[in-house]
Order: sequence, then structure tokens, then C-alpha cells
Amino acid sequence: MSASKFIRTVVVACTALLLGNVTSAAPLKVAVIEALSGPQASTGLSFRNATRYAIDRLNTAGGWNGEKIELIEYDNQGGPTGAADKLKAAIADGAQFIVSGSSSAVGGQLTDDIRKYNIRNPGKEVVLLNLGAEANELTGEKCHFHNFRFSSNAQIRIKALVGAMKKDGVIGSRVYSINQNYSWGQDTENAIVEYASVGGYKVVEKTLHDVNKIQDFSPYVSKIVAANVDTVITGNWSNDLLLLMKATKASGLKARFGTTFLDQPGNLANAGDAATGHYIAHLFNAEAGGKEGEQFAEDYKAKTGRYPAFIEGQAVQGILMFGEALKAVKPQGNNLNVNVWALELENTKFKTPMGELRMRAADHQALVPVVVSVVSNDAKYKVDGTALGFKPIMVLTGDQAATPVPAACKMQRPT
Amino acid sequence: MEYFIVSLLNGAIYGLLLFMVSAGLTLIFGMMGVLNFAHASFYMLGAYFAYTLTPLIGFGMAMIGAPLLVGVVGVVVERFFLRRVHSYGHAHELLLTFGLSFIIAELVKLFFGNFPIDYRIPASLDFAAFRIGGADYPFYRLIMGGVAIGMFALIFLLLTRTRVGIVVRSAIYKPRMAEALGHNVPLVFMGVFGVGAALAGLAGAVAGAFYTTNPNMALELGVMVFVVVVVGGLGSLGGAMIASLLIGMITSLCVGIDKSLADLFSLLGMGDWAQGIGGLLTLKLSSLASTIPFALMLLVLLVRPSGLMGEKEYL
Repeated sequence: MSASKFIRTVVVACTALLLGNVTSAAPLKVAVIEALSGPQASTGLSFRNATRYAIDRLNTAGGWNGEKIELIEYDNQGGPTGAADKLKAAIADGAQFIVSGSSSAVGGQLTDDIRKYNIRNPGKEVVLLNLGAEANELTGEKCHFHNFRFSSNAQIRIKALVGAMKKDGVIGSRVYSINQNYSWGQDTENAIVEYASVGGYKVVEKTLHDVNKIQDFSPYVSKIVAANVDTVITGNWSNDLLLLMKATKASGLKARFGTTFLDQPGNLANAGDAATGHYIAHLFNAEAGGKEGEQFAEDYKAKTGRYPAFIEGQAVQGILMFGEALKAVKPQGNNLNVNVWALELENTKFKTPMGELRMRAADHQALVPVVVSVVSNDAKYKVDGTALGFKPIMVLTGDQAATPVPAACKMQRPT
Repeated sequence: MEYFIVSLLNGAIYGLLLFMVSAGLTLIFGMMGVLNFAHASFYMLGAYFAYTLTPLIGFGMAMIGAPLLVGVVGVVVERFFLRRVHSYGHAHELLLTFGLSFIIAELVKLFFGNFPIDYRIPASLDFAAFRIGGADYPFYRLIMGGVAIGMFALIFLLLTRTRVGIVVRSAIYKPRMAEALGHNVPLVFMGVFGVGAALAGLAGAVAGAFYTTNPNMALELGVMVFVVVVVGGLGSLGGAMIASLLIGMITSLCVGIDKSLADLFSLLGMGDWAQGIGGLLTLKLSSLASTIPFALMLLVLLVRPSGLMGEKEYL
């Protein structure tokens, strides 16, 4: 490119930019606020990659209002404080949709801040798309009209898990509950107790421990051994699950585990063959999705380099559903009215490889299909370079998996 | 009873692991007055080096090779980084090691990814030593404990019984005098820093296989190692040993105690009242297990600021 041509190009580009604000609307902006660095980065990056992939797909299909949807990424450094700061930055940058998923602590902060912002700024509302923070309160006490959860919650997961394990006759009569001591872990513990009569078991002992601080889980495993149980149910994730699995393996404990996040990369490799027969209730399993699931898994791997084995599946489907509702929304003076989008989403029936995904209007908790899988050699997709994978044994539709609308949710709908 | 013995054993061996990492930290501090924030990063490097070396030269050799490599990294850090900022005072050295810990963590992520890697105990060592309390007791845990005790004995003898030990101790006590007597004090500093790093590397190589090897392991253990060194007394090897064992056992035993303050009150007939108040009074000791070391540190700092076996008052 010659110098004069270059200058001309720059001038044209600048003029276009300057005029851009006048002639056409700024593109629709979606901000992902995730832990992109620090200890929780592995989970945060999984959510980020899934969101990127899904937004790319929406843009390939035409974006919105003739423009590409713009994805902006913010690093919350793993904590609520960082998230609150980045939320302000995202709103200042013009984002109308905030995407987050890896932590209930962060989710709680974001949804509260957004609720307050929306009260103070009518007509400029911002929406939270929660892809994976699963504490009950987020669609319970803290629920509000602009907060949408596309994943499940503690009750949904435990209900599905207990149901499937009971049906397979593997749950036994003595259950140990071990969970992390914060909103998600406490909710899981309560759910384990709540579904005791359904599963026909007795919760022998309950343990809540510090989150991601414990290096040596062997004292906890000795406690489990001493309790003499058939099944251990845990909502643990990240290092707390990995170390629990390693300590279990080392002790030769024979109890079966019912889990919710065993599909996090690294777990099966570290637990080894001892993990065979463990159960998991998760929201996506490519094998359970048949041909569509396979297609999606291969496409995801081609674009991002790894199979959607962890939360990627649920996150992608959530964002795609967001796009599905967007299709039917007409721009108002070149801008998007998020309230129109929200009402549209409540009526959207989105087909995912797992089944139909809908958004319940009463508390904005998704009616999301749940897959219960068992760790086995027969699984189609092996994980972590081991011979093991997650073999689906039961798929519940969104309605089957659903739990009642929490009484604590008192949603103010826009008039 | 069996449960108690297992808990004690678990706690002791976890404590010994803490000692392996904190030994180097406390040595370096005692010698150079540098609180090395990157010390836990050397622990992490040890695990990653051992993981990389295992397929090439076997697990046993990797246990030797990885600490040596980490020691070399430590020497390089001392010779080319720390020594340059030494004359500007401790604050600069502190900031340097602090920055270094971030750089090492990011480098590890760059080469090995964000997720935990598959670094495991070799199958030949993965068996139960004995059965106790209805569960297997892994042989590898005993190895970890043995390595730590061996390490303690070796350093202790080296420092108190050999000529090298005399030079090192004199360089710590009166560096200028030692230099005037013809000893190469900077070389001694470099050596101690390298050995300290190598010890952390050894701990990482041994423990990384048993626990997890991920880019956060430095952060996770680092805080606890500082607690150990503060409780034991900065610069005191024996203090680090006692503090490690104390913290390991307290943590392990607390897990089994499902009692709260409310239970204490019920002895006085005020149980219902305490249950009604809730909050802190009904918090079970077991759910606080990993927080208790910090309470211990607070207590030690209040009662004996120099630590259990600390000799001099810093600050």
C-alpha cells in the first residue's frame, strides 16, 4: 500500500467512525466479566471461551440489527470486588448485557449491583446473563426482572442426581454430605438433606469446609471412612474436588461419589480408575445429545481446540438462546430495549442437543435439561487423556428436572 | 481411637511437608534478612520440573534432577537480581521477589496451561503401607514424611557439625567480620539461596505428585508457609519444624471436632441461649479447621512476637 493510499484509507476510516454515531447505532455490546487471571482462571477462561464461541456463531448468522454483536472482556480477578469495578467499566463502555458464570459470590455481587443500577437509571437497564453461578438465592431472595440464570441450581442438580442414583439402586442407605462453606455449598448440603426421603437414605454426617484453602484432604477422608457410608454427595468444584478425589483414592475408600462438577478438566486424570462408577449431574454431555451433540462437540473442538466437556456446553447454549430471543426484537430508534428482549426470552423455546431450554417467567430460572452420567470406560468421549469418560444414563427434560419457584422470589415486572 | 491415631499421623505428615517448604524460607531469611515471596513459586517449579523430567529420566532421578534445576534458578535469581538491589535495602528485595512470584506463575501457565496437570505417583509406589481405621494408609505419605525428616537431619548436621556450617553461621552472624577473615560472603549468600530454593523444589517434586500440580499451588501453600515461619520464629530451623508439626496436627484434629461455642455454653446450662444467638457461637470448629493456623499466628504475635524459637526481635 502506497503512503497516499494509506492516508486516504485512514481518513476514510476516521470519517466513518465520526459519522458512525450519527448515521447508525453503536453495535449491541455484550460484556463478559470473568476470572481471567488468578486462581479461578481455569474456570473463568472456560466460560470466556464458550461465550466467545457462541457470540461468533451469532455473528456468523448475521448479528443483530445488521451489525455484529460486540463482545468485550473484563477480568474480575476472581472476586466480587473486582467484578463490581468491572461492571461499572462495562456499563460505561455501553454494554447492555453482562455475562458471568464461574462464581456464586461474583454472581451475587453483579446481580445486586445491576438491580440497583436499573432502579436508578430507568430506560437504560442492563441485563445479567448468568451462565453458571448456581447458588439458590440468585433466583430466590435476590431475584429481579433483569437477572436470568441459564444454568441449574443446587436443588435441581441434587434432585436429578439422587433420582438417578436411586433408580440405579446404587445410592445405599447411608450418605455423607461434604461441601464448601459458602452459598453454593450450603445450598447443596440443604438439598442433600431435603431429598433424603426421595432417595431413601439417611444423611449420616454433614461437613462444610473452607473454600479452596485446604491442601490436605486426608483428615476429611478419615472422617468419611469413620462414618461408614455407602455414598458421598458433594457439590465441590475446582481444587477442593480434585484433592478430595486424590485423598479418596489414596485411602482406598470404596464409597461411591455423587458429584456435580467432576467433569472439570483434571479431575478424572487425578482420581484415576478409582473414579469409575462415580455419578455426576451436569447440564451437557455430547454423547447424550446424539448426532446434534456430536456435531456441536466437533465444531467446538475445531474452533477452540478442546471438547466441551465441562461447563462450555451449557454456557454456549445459554448465549445461543439469548441470540434466539434477540432475533425477534426490533430495534427502537436503532437501540435495543432490553425489556422487550426479556419478555421475548420468556416466550422463547430453544432447542439444544439436550432438549428444550425455556426461561421460567416467575423467577427467571431456566428450565434446563439435566443429564446424569456415570464415569465409565464405555463413554464415547474420553477426558483428560484417560480411558475414562462420562457415560450418560439419564436425561431429564427441563420440566422434569425443575424444582418449585422459591417463595422468596418477589419479582417486580416492568409495567 | 484409631481415628485419632490416623488424624495425628495425617497431621504430622502434612506438617512435615510444610516444614520442607518453610525450611528454605526460614534459612534464607535468617541469613540474608530477605523475606522471599517467590519461595512458594520454587515449590511449584519443583513440581513442574519433576513432571517434565519423569518421562525422560524416571521418577526417582526426577526427584534429584528437579531440585537441582530449581536450585540453579535460585542461584540465578540471587546472583543476577537480588544482589543488584541488595544495596537499596529490604523493601526493594521484597518487591523484587513479589514480582518474581507473579512472573513464575504466568510462565508456568504459558507452558503448562491453566488446568491441573496429570502428575501422579508412579504405580510402583502407589500402594498401601498398612490398614488402619478401615482405610488404607498410603505408603507414599510415609515417604514424604521420611524425606522431610531426612532433610531436617541433614541441614541440622551440616550447619552445626561441619566447616561449611561454621562459615555459613558466621556469615549470618557477622558478615563483615567473616569477610575480613577472607571468606567469600556473597558466594555463601548465593549458596544458601540456591540450597533454600532447591529444598522447596524437592518438596514440590515430592508433594506435587501426591497433591495437585497446578498454577495456583504456590499461592495455596505460600500463605501457610509464611504462617509457619512466623509462628516458628523467623530464621529458626527448629522453630519451623515445631510450628509445622503443630499447625499440621491442629488442622487435622480440628476437622474431627464438630463442637461449637454453643456446646461449651451448654455445659453452663446456657446452651439454648447460645443456640438462639447463632452466628459465631454456633459455628462448628470443624468448618474453621484451615483458619485456625491464622488464629495461632495472631496469638503468637501477641504473646511472643519473635516466634516460638526466634532469637532476635526483628523490626
